[in-house]
Amino acid sequence: MLLAALAAVGFWAWRTLYPNPERIIKKRLAEMAQTASFSSNQGLAAQAWAASSLAEYFALDVEITLNVPGAQRTFSGRDEVMQVAVTARRICRSLSIRFPDIKVTLSPDKTSAEVSVTGEADVTYASGGKEFHLQELRLRLIKVEREWLIKQVETVKTLS
Amino acid sequence: MATSIEEGPEPGWAQRVLIGRNPKRTLVRMVLLVIVSLILFRYVLLPVRVDGASMLPTYKENGVNLVNRLAYLFHEPQRGDVVAVRLLAGAHRMYLKRIVGLPGDTVAFRRGQLLINGLPLAEPYVKFPCDWNQNPVQVGPDQYYLVGDNRDNPWEGHEQGRAPRALILGKVLL
Repeated sequence: MLLAALAAVGFWAWRTLYPNPERIIKKRLAEMAQTASFSSNQGLAAQAWAASSLAEYFALDVEITLNVPGAQRTFSGRDEVMQVAVTARRICRSLSIRFPDIKVTLSPDKTSAEVSVTGEADVTYASGGKEFHLQELRLRLIKVEREWLIKQVETVKTLS
Repeated sequence: MATSIEEGPEPGWAQRVLIGRNPKRTLVRMVLLVIVSLILFRYVLLPVRVDGASMLPTYKENGVNLVNRLAYLFHEPQRGDVVAVRLLAGAHRMYLKRIVGLPGDTVAFRRGQLLINGLPLAEPYVKFPCDWNQNPVQVGPDQYYLVGDNRDNPWEGHEQGRAPRALILGKVLL
């Protein structure tokens, strides 16, 4: 009994101290979704801090390709992505982003990963209008100095 | 020779109501119920909540339904079936759509009329017609063409198209 308990504690400690890359990536994307979300009662300082900390999730040369009705364009580089985040905060009163499904496929050398994500967003515009969006995304992440950074994002059309 | 069975004190009414006369048996029943429910609602009848207006008026927003995951165990999906389609990353979110095109069909829209292999298809379930125009699309050998019942929005804003058979989780039950 004692041995089993020790083994369970050891397993838990090992998983906590050395989480596998898949778990790290899922956790990091969930954190990013939380950082990208905002509500109307967020102060200016909190907004500025959130917008700048969002940058930490992306590689310097990140490329985001949107191909959805009403928006076909590509954003290149971390600065442009930050600009989009700031603009979103200006035109939206609140934004809630969630990733209910994340599927990670690691490269053999475990330095990059292809990730399929189901993204959903509740948007309240400054005008008061509300929208719900569901979008599949394909992400490529790279490992840079023990950090997983988003290198590429593209929208996926489930029904072709 | 006489035998006697020694019985414990009769449980009070509160105990009988809450955990039954025999707590061990109640526990076993509870565990069985949980296991059966988990299997039933995970692998057989998947509970879903409708979000969005694309299947109006057949399925209203926020309505609750069940997806029969065993519906296509012995036969393939049929035209007219309303099915749940999982997304690539997982099945926590699904599309609820109607099958209008079968493998090998060509699907087109001309001034809102759905054409299957060049012939108009009667769609009594469509109450909000559209004026969509779409050139013929060939449905692959392992694909189905899906579209929502509510056509009262622009073509670009309505999620529709071909889905591989493997992504169809099951048929909507109610």
